[in-house]
Amino acid sequence: MDTLKVRDAQEVEDAVRAAIANEQPLEIIGHGTKRRVGQPMATNAVLDLSALNAVVAYEPNELIITVQAGAPVADVLSLIDSKNQQFAFEPMNTSLLLGTVETEGTIGGMIAAGLAGPRRIKSGGARDHLLGAHAVSGFGESFKAGGKVVKNVTGYDLCKLLAGSWGTLAVMTEVTLKVTPRPESERTLVLRGLDDVTANRAMTQAVGSPYDVSGAAHLPGSALRTTGGALAELAQPDQALTLLRLEGITSSASHRAQSLREALKSFGATELIEDEDSAALWRAVRDVEPFAASGPRALWPVWRIVCPPASGGAFGQALQRESGGEVIYDWGGGLIWAALPPAADAQARALRQRVDKIDGHASLIRGSDEVRASIDVFHPQPGGLAALGQRVKSSFDPRNVLNRGRLSRGPAA
Amino acid sequence: MTILMPEPDQAVLARRDEIVASLRRIVPGEGVISSAAEMKPYESDGLMAYRQPPMVVVLPSTTKQVSEVLRYCYQHGIKVVPRGSGTSLSGGALPLADAVLLGLGKFKRIREIDFDNRAVVVEPGVTNLAISQAVDHMGFYYAPDPSSQIACSIGGNIAENSGGVHCLKYGMTTNNVLGCEIVLMTGEILRIGGKCAENAGYDLMGVITGSEGLLGVITEVTVRILRKPETARALMVGFTDVEAAGKCVADVISAGIIPGGMEMMDRPAIHAAEAFVHAGYPLDVEALLIIELDGPQVEVDELIQRVEAIALGCGSTTCQISTSEQERLLFWSGRKAAFPAVGRISPDYLCMDGTIPRAQLPLVLRRMTQMSEKYGLRVANVFHAGDGNLHPLILYDANKPGEQDRAEAFGADILRLCVEVGGVLTGEHGVGIEKRDLMPEMFSDIDLNQQQRLKCAFDSEGLLNPGKVFPTLHRCAELGRMHVHGGKLPFPDIPRF
Ligand SMILES: Cc1cc2nc3c(=O)[nH]c(=O)nc-3n(C[C@H](O)[C@H](O)[C@H](O)COP(=O)(O)OP(=O)(O)OC[C@H]3O[C@@H](n4cnc5c(N)ncnc54)[C@H](O)[C@@H]3O)c2cc1C
Ligand SMILES: Cc1cc2nc3c(=O)[nH]c(=O)nc-3n(C[C@H](O)[C@H](O)[C@H](O)COP(=O)(O)OP(=O)(O)OC[C@H]3O[C@@H](n4cnc5c(N)ncnc54)[C@H](O)[C@@H]3O)c2cc1C
Repeated sequence: MDTLKVRDAQEVEDAVRAAIANEQPLEIIGHGTKRRVGQPMATNAVLDLSALNAVVAYEPNELIITVQAGAPVADVLSLIDSKNQQFAFEPMNTSLLLGTVETEGTIGGMIAAGLAGPRRIKSGGARDHLLGAHAVSGFGESFKAGGKVVKNVTGYDLCKLLAGSWGTLAVMTEVTLKVTPRPESERTLVLRGLDDVTANRAMTQAVGSPYDVSGAAHLPGSALRTTGGALAELAQPDQALTLLRLEGITSSASHRAQSLREALKSFGATELIEDEDSAALWRAVRDVEPFAASGPRALWPVWRIVCPPASGGAFGQALQRESGGEVIYDWGGGLIWAALPPAADAQARALRQRVDKIDGHASLIRGSDEVRASIDVFHPQPGGLAALGQRVKSSFDPRNVLNRGRLSRGPAA
Repeated sequence: MTILMPEPDQAVLARRDEIVASLRRIVPGEGVISSAAEMKPYESDGLMAYRQPPMVVVLPSTTKQVSEVLRYCYQHGIKVVPRGSGTSLSGGALPLADAVLLGLGKFKRIREIDFDNRAVVVEPGVTNLAISQAVDHMGFYYAPDPSSQIACSIGGNIAENSGGVHCLKYGMTTNNVLGCEIVLMTGEILRIGGKCAENAGYDLMGVITGSEGLLGVITEVTVRILRKPETARALMVGFTDVEAAGKCVADVISAGIIPGGMEMMDRPAIHAAEAFVHAGYPLDVEALLIIELDGPQVEVDELIQRVEAIALGCGSTTCQISTSEQERLLFWSGRKAAFPAVGRISPDYLCMDGTIPRAQLPLVLRRMTQMSEKYGLRVANVFHAGDGNLHPLILYDANKPGEQDRAEAFGADILRLCVEVGGVLTGEHGVGIEKRDLMPEMFSDIDLNQQQRLKCAFDSEGLLNPGKVFPTLHRCAELGRMHVHGGKLPFPDIPRF
């Protein structure tokens, strides 16, 4: 396999043009920590962005940072952390789940994967924080999308398409992201022992309250039974945990935690976890610690299911019963991580039928090569929408040289 | 009119009667308007310097009708211009002589309110404010709040990715929409997203938002609603120089405080507003900031103190804090009435809209003063200071020969300046026809071609709202051509590892 480590945007252009001329599709990687997410691809040329790793400009007062796409996430996070800032979308570190090196991962890969952590319910996802990008399309042309200011409606918002496109539309070479101040403190309310449906109700009430909840997760006892880490420390064996997070200036976070505790009295007694301890809990939720690749569920495929938040509890409960799997809930019920007992299709058929009924969608985030080759890893879309998606892909990459076959199966994908 | 629109298609115009008759079969009764007198109200949108009667106005009331109208037009090569409430300030809804004007004003129903999923499903003709009103009794609201919110439609808001005072903290339209039903130019009806926080596949909702009616016609929208904050209080802070006010904005934000709104007015705007609404604005200052904090009472009380200290540290000469809801609204009244207030002191004005990096504010204001002298026209400034979105109002008199042209040239210079200092041509009003010919200031041909290719994926014949946004119209086939001058060798000259 040929690996090309490009040094600048011009080399990316050259590589894509050569790929077009030679009809040789490229696999795009940052650090490659997510190479095993998506449909398995058959390319023997890899375009490696990791040498494009500079911080171009960081302006804390403007709340923006511009970096080359291959910049390591870990470095960028510690840079903005030094100014007390953060990415509000709280992207997950997939290393626990996928069993990759903990400190690896690039900003380009993070945006292209488009994942969002628990603060999604308040601050949105990666798509909401990508202000601008330079990228090379499958025409082999460098183009610019968006800008470097927080408010911009000039032309189509191509950044939205690049976020979450898994490198199938264009190769990002430089991105500008919005950063936000890090909250002064955080508080987490813990409810114990609720069943999934009741917990879903508690989360719905909390997220719909005026107390500005920035995280709402539920971990059924079965998911916690088998793990170590921050969550297991807090949980009694087999006891479910429902977590609600409040962030902001200290007086406000404390006050809101108190008010929310009052409002949720009917769901039982609550405990309060503060600051660092609270942060550790949310990292564990964010990174889906219960299903870690090093843990007892290592061989189980893991699904990421997005659904209307209020339907989450009932859906997850039925899914566990019928699949024999385990779930954890984030986004107030709107995101379900499910580890299901292995099956030839990772239970895709049964799961998708069920998810379609509640207007949700499911992607397989962890699964063996064989399973991924035999099913649709990302949720199949209805005909008209799939066709439009395909036309959008072609409008960026008509010869299908970028990550061919990663998003969907079939000849044209 | 200084902006050229696409040449009308004479063949289409010649078939007008037949087209009107066909459209009447799809949308019966008063849904088709074809007399010159009745079409008059549709001749322009909020950018009133430009007028153009449409070929015919169609006002469908169901998605099926929209679909059939579009399919008919697609099959017969007829252009279509979608229209919501017609408040666009960039000419996005300006009709074309040979096009059907498709008004969505009859789509007025709120279809579903789902408090548990914090989502509301509405038809596109519902006004922005009506959504907040419909959920108010449960303590919810829809966050994006363009000043035109009593009039503008949610469909138009999606098309323009509209913003308002709240956007600094709560995001623009794009951050608050979950899904939509859209009809493509072929008549195909698609559903994108729904009540999920995130959609599957490419983020089509994200690109439709802000697409200025060029990709499809929105016939239903699902928006996210938020619980109203417990309380809100405002500060009114005056500065004798603009630089100090700019520094105050930056200092508030670097202190980690994101206000619910942070607006600035310059001297001419303050004077015009005060004369109009008597809000009690200080008249001896060069810049006035209105900063609103919202959230729980304890938080607001504490942040008010912090912001006050920051303002004093930046040399504010007056600083008043609202002590009642009435007073808070009074502080805002002048800002909210700034446009009509300026309208009283000048026969005409042009409202510009550009975004700059906040740090460039003093420079940009200085340069604007110089331009004002050069063009011999006054300018008043109100802007969303928190996110660097400027609204310079250029005062002129259309009855004086040459003044409108000068005002437009002045406006274009301001937008060029925005781009020059690292900003963009529009922060919330859209490109439309107004800024269309300035797009090359910000984007190269390659950038623009990529955007137009995306348009082709939705509208292969370029029939939907042509002449807007893009300075040059291309045929899709031509845009799809590949220019590869790369060598035949795999990856020449690239080091391997
Ligand atoms: C300490 C640490 C903390 C982290 N914390 C977070 C966190 O809080 N939030 C978070 O989201 N992530 C976090 N991550 C990283 C995250 O989990 C991802 O693993 C990582 O960003 C993926 O990067 P990668 O380069 O390995 O992706 P890859 O596996 O190389 O790529 C992922 C996908 O993106 C595509 N792609 C990669 N680069 C580009 C490009 N330049 N243009 C177009 N497509 C491209 C690929 O083709 C592939 O489809 C963290 C990582 C570390 C090391
Ligand atoms: C006094 C005043 C104050 C304003 N303040 C603000 C402000 O604070 N912030 C701000 O962002 N804007 C503001 N605007 C501009 C304007 O109100 C917004 O752009 C608004 O979103 C336009 O909505 P509309 O329904 O009037 O759309 P229209 O003017 O009818 O149309 C605007 C564009 O949207 C397209 N369109 C409309 N409906 C649809 C649909 N259903 N499907 C597809 N395309 C459609 C049209 O083709 C056109 O391109 C202001 C305007 C005025 C007059």
